[in-house]
Amino acid sequence: MGTAGGSPALEISGLSKSYPTGALHQGRRSALEDLTLSVPRGEVFGYLGPNGSGKTTTLKVVMGLLRADRGGARVLGVPHVERAWRHRAGYLPENPYLYDYLSPDEYLDYTGRLFGMSAPDRRDRSRKVLERVGLAASARVPMRRFSKGMLQRAGLAQALLNDPELVFLDEPMSGLDPIGRHMVKEVILDLRKQGRTVFFSTHILSDAESLCDRVGLLRAGRLVTAGRLDEILRIDVAHLEVLASGVDEALLGRLEGLKGRRPLGERWSLEVEEKSLAPLVRAVHDGGGRILSVQPVRESLEEYFVRAMQSPASDRPWEAA
Amino acid sequence: MAANTYRETVRERVLYNLVFFALLMTVSGLLMKQLSIRQDERIIKDIGLAAMELVGTLIAVFIGVGLVSKEIERRSLYPLLAKPLGRSEFILGKFAGLSFTLLVNIGVMAAGLYLTLAATGRAADPHLLKAVYTIYLGLLVVVALALLFSTLTTSLMAAIGTVIVVVAGHFSDVIRNMRQVAPGTPDWLSRALYYALPNFSNFDLKSRVVHFVPVSSADLGWITAYAAAYIAVVLGLALVVFRSRDLL
Repeated sequence: MGTAGGSPALEISGLSKSYPTGALHQGRRSALEDLTLSVPRGEVFGYLGPNGSGKTTTLKVVMGLLRADRGGARVLGVPHVERAWRHRAGYLPENPYLYDYLSPDEYLDYTGRLFGMSAPDRRDRSRKVLERVGLAASARVPMRRFSKGMLQRAGLAQALLNDPELVFLDEPMSGLDPIGRHMVKEVILDLRKQGRTVFFSTHILSDAESLCDRVGLLRAGRLVTAGRLDEILRIDVAHLEVLASGVDEALLGRLEGLKGRRPLGERWSLEVEEKSLAPLVRAVHDGGGRILSVQPVRESLEEYFVRAMQSPASDRPWEAA
Repeated sequence: MAANTYRETVRERVLYNLVFFALLMTVSGLLMKQLSIRQDERIIKDIGLAAMELVGTLIAVFIGVGLVSKEIERRSLYPLLAKPLGRSEFILGKFAGLSFTLLVNIGVMAAGLYLTLAATGRAADPHLLKAVYTIYLGLLVVVALALLFSTLTTSLMAAIGTVIVVVAGHFSDVIRNMRQVAPGTPDWLSRALYYALPNFSNFDLKSRVVHFVPVSSADLGWITAYAAAYIAVVLGLALVVFRSRDLL
């Protein structure tokens, strides 16, 4: 795992967290189990998992909002419980609630003071980040009048105020319309261009697929896999999509290894395993038909995700990644 | 943190309602003077100081109990605690902010009381400020208690807990002599409660000031020391609780 630029941006090692259960807190439910993860600097890392898998818990522990049962993390080379790294990081919580009696201008001025920024710096950075998230026109409107999407934008603005080296975003696309989602994507890509690290949790897999250098999949508090998307998806069995014309339907019924077929007017779209491609081509040719195209179909992240989440714990082929 | 807490409380409508209530009480004192046959400034002072204490207590309790619990319930402190802001600074900032709000309110109400006295042709009595000062100290104790409960539980439960302690603290003499009321009460229990609960009668100089009984600097010094010690212990507990708490 790369550590260009010194220590990794984020290093989580052996992190476990459980919550008390029952009226008298007599039991405990594990939320994270022995989580170990490293995110190099300058990377966009997508933290994926279904609801309740432990994504937000991970972020809360790193932010110091929850205390770990065991293990810990280093952020920008500093133990996560210390304060030093907080000047250099930003955090957008899930569904952020910001003081609604304040305007974004006032809120950013207030949080800028927490960073120890000077008044001119606060003004300058506030203006820039509000423009970046598309809230410049509402800078002085009390946030109690904001829609959910506008609050999400204001939350993103406060996460970027201190020009952070590392940004933690918990479900940043949540509540945003397509334009807002596009804006967030642009912000994340801009951060990557600037060499910043972005760690974001999401369950919108298409976003992760289009933005992330690497992803980590979490299930029931355990890291299922972490790696580059092409590494993760490459290991999965791909099939081929064959487009053929002039094929008799009766012939298709006799073919072995055909996983699916779909008529497209005069043509057929055929799904076939790689090993069955040669017999299929011969059969189509012998039957007087033509092969128009052969496309390898890689499993999408969404398909991989669904399969990984539905598989029993004992059956984890993805762990080979 | 303190400045923002002050700003938050100033923008809470309930604060204006309570100030309005205080002004109403003062005005009613004025009317009472005009309607009564034989009244003097004592009634105005009594009503003014009592209203000040009541309104201040309501502000301290009902704003104070939400200072931390509401932030946890609404999750508004998540982005703040991720910044270079310690939990101790958060608590102390909240305390300082509400204390300043109360100072402003008590100041406004005291000014209103002096204006009322002036409007009825009475001389300004500087001794009144001694009672105002100790009322304020008592309110700071209430704020510290409200904050402690606020770190422990929800706003509603914190309000209930704080009100119980504050009311009990106004009857500390009864608690000390509980065995007379309830003979079976163990002595250690009544003693423990007496020393653990705030003794708000210590802060009550209203009667002495209104009846021109002298209040020495030593008296004020002792009351100040008691308030400081009590607040330090309660805030210390609040810090310990809040620093060890998971923010779910």
